[in-house]
Amino acid sequence: MTPSLERSDRPLALSRSVLGLLIKLNLMLGILIFGLLISTLVAQGPVMRALGAIPSPDNGRVIFGMRGIMVIGVLATPVLHLIFTRLLAIVETVKAGDPFIGINADRLQTIAWAIIGLELMHVAVVILANGVTVGTQKVDIGDKFSITPWLTILLIFVLARVFDQGARMREDLAGTV
Amino acid sequence: MPIIVRLDDVLHHRRMSLTELSDRIGITLANLSVLKTGKARAIRFSTLDAICQALQCQPGEILEFVAAVDADDKPVPENVA
Repeated sequence: MTPSLERSDRPLALSRSVLGLLIKLNLMLGILIFGLLISTLVAQGPVMRALGAIPSPDNGRVIFGMRGIMVIGVLATPVLHLIFTRLLAIVETVKAGDPFIGINADRLQTIAWAIIGLELMHVAVVILANGVTVGTQKVDIGDKFSITPWLTILLIFVLARVFDQGARMREDLAGTV
Repeated sequence: MPIIVRLDDVLHHRRMSLTELSDRIGITLANLSVLKTGKARAIRFSTLDAICQALQCQPGEILEFVAAVDADDKPVPENVA
């Protein structure tokens, strides 16, 4: 292997390692959030105090909001898993030296739809957090709207089409004598 | 595809093997086999030119259009997508 190829393989190897780690971390976090959700049902008082919810007669809405956010957190785990595994599959095709295949266009499209799902979940979390705020009891999740994820989604959809066209052109070229 | 490749027939008339043609025009035997068996999706003008020069023939002797027809002998439109 030439030195330039070795250099270009380094980010690829790093991407594979990072994605492998992210897949594991995401699953662990999903299990942790699920565990936290269950513990709020089993031992509501101590867990909510630990999370900063001050016991008062009207904190029921805050507890409801926190549980709702935990449910969304659990639901986000399979969506993130979908993104990481599809991305890893794309990286594997790059490693194999054959990334311009139709299935990678499908994978990119799946990733774009999954990011849309995540963004909608983010919106739901913001609505939930703002909706359950009672007096000084506030569920703080950082509700700043950002255009970047939506631009990323657009970019990924465009890239998916580019991959699709590229794969077709490559297929045509492969059959050209 | 209704384009039939007659390379085998022309080679037979010229008493030339596919390997010999491959050596003469510098196109791999594998690619010529793809062309000969009608599995090619496209042919470059440069390839056609080289084959015609080596076999001293016209493109029409190598490629023939045969319209695809259905059970009622009506032409079936070819999908080019």
